[in-house]
Amino acid sequence: MPRYAMVIDQERCVGCQSCTVACKSEWDVPNGFARTKVRQTGTIGTFPKLSTSFYVSQCNHCDRPTCVPACPTGATYQDQSGVVRVNRDLCIGCGSCVAACPYGARYINAEIGKVDKCDFCVSRLGKGLQPACVGTCPAHAKIFGDLEDSSSDVFRFVYRGAAKRMETANIAIGPNVYYAGKPKHAELALASFAPVPPRTIAPGKVWSSLLNKVVYLAVGVTFLGQAVAFFRQLSTGEKQFEE
Amino acid sequence: MSASAIPMVPTPLTSEQAEAMAQRQIKKHHVAIVLLHWFNAISWLLELATGAGLIVSPYYRFAPLWYLQMMEGIFGSRANMLRFHIAVGLTWTAVFLVYAIFGFRNYLRIEVLQHEIGLDRDDMQWLKVRTLLLLSRTKDPLPPQGVYNAGQKLFALLVYTMVPLIMLTGLTMTFHWFGTTFVAWAMVLHFFAVGMVVSGLMIHVYMGAVFPEEKPAFYSMITGVVDELYAYRHHFKWWRAVKIEEQTWRDELRSKEEGGARSTDEKPDDNSGSDNAPLISRPQSGDRR
Repeated sequence: MPRYAMVIDQERCVGCQSCTVACKSEWDVPNGFARTKVRQTGTIGTFPKLSTSFYVSQCNHCDRPTCVPACPTGATYQDQSGVVRVNRDLCIGCGSCVAACPYGARYINAEIGKVDKCDFCVSRLGKGLQPACVGTCPAHAKIFGDLEDSSSDVFRFVYRGAAKRMETANIAIGPNVYYAGKPKHAELALASFAPVPPRTIAPGKVWSSLLNKVVYLAVGVTFLGQAVAFFRQLSTGEKQFEE
Repeated sequence: MSASAIPMVPTPLTSEQAEAMAQRQIKKHHVAIVLLHWFNAISWLLELATGAGLIVSPYYRFAPLWYLQMMEGIFGSRANMLRFHIAVGLTWTAVFLVYAIFGFRNYLRIEVLQHEIGLDRDDMQWLKVRTLLLLSRTKDPLPPQGVYNAGQKLFALLVYTMVPLIMLTGLTMTFHWFGTTFVAWAMVLHFFAVGMVVSGLMIHVYMGAVFPEEKPAFYSMITGVVDELYAYRHHFKWWRAVKIEEQTWRDELRSKEEGGARSTDEKPDDNSGSDNAPLISRPQSGDRR
């Protein structure tokens, strides 16, 4: 089984948004949303020695994804090659996973009422193609491949180079999109786009803190009630003629 | 027997009376309600079974993993199970919509609901005594009840509030109504409302299908009728109302008969097929002898 990963070389990225456009046209992403997007970081240093960088955001296909357990119906799942995917037949568009993602990689497609995000273009991979964004990047800043394959470029970047995961001390869920470049690039990206703690949607909080307790209590009490009555009935026996 | 001879409160019956009453049947449920009840029961069974199999998130899940796998195996995939859940749910909703439209006058008007499922003082007392009786803590008789007893009324109140909620939240999730925030709230309210009904179902199913004293109520959901003795003992106020109705009907019939007999004596029967022909074919005075 392959283990897919992507490396984004921040030193090569020029922020041209070709990947954003390629992805949007490949997947019919509605206006105002994107599966992947190039964002400009802030700056470091003092004038005139300023530095800036670009950060490409997309689904990180984490090893321990927080979106998967958050999905009530199991529409979001991790396949055997580590790609986190969405089964649209099961998605009800409740937004639980959108809140649970530390990277803001998900959005609700209002046209279909379901969640959408990067899936490493699995349908293209099946045809032997690269993901749309990778093929279109003029600077070859996006490198895609199999971490199980020691001859792949991603293997070289991840295991022999300095490509880093976009993680913090608190949020380390094993993202499989790695960032290569100078240390200042990583610093810039983290300063502006560090992963945020996974959130639980308000209804989910109300459910776990109140509603589920009410339900379990009510069902438990009535179940016990009828169980007591039933055992009394069994122990007394039934008569042909009553009263 | 005139209407005034029908007792106001349950009185002890002689063995002959009791035996005669046990033989007589009175109508309790319209055939439409019987069919609706079992359609509803089957729908609930299917929806609960598939619904439990669809909730896989550890934050909401309550069914064991083997159950989820088993259900997925039965349906081929969870996506199919969801389609089935939605199909049954939509059918169920549509059928109850038809019921609400065509049955409104008979079953859902506020006066009907107040009369049939509104709790009165007897009902409050009944709930107390019933509970104590189950626990063998009293020997008091149960207060007289209407067509539905206080337990059934409580369950009905729960169902009447929760079922519309279940339908609306289900539709919201199915058609993604009003966007993501609504769908998310609909989801947990769906779970909550179903949970509340299930808590009532525990008692409803036990009382209806297993509890010995209410066996006739169970069979009435198949045949539509109960014996008069059961009605007298368990739903006295309803029994009395039915008896008064029956007596009134009989009195009216008799007075018509007497009036009709007098008029046929006066002039020969020449109005057969005319506008004022009686709906019930009444015996001619000669036939009775």
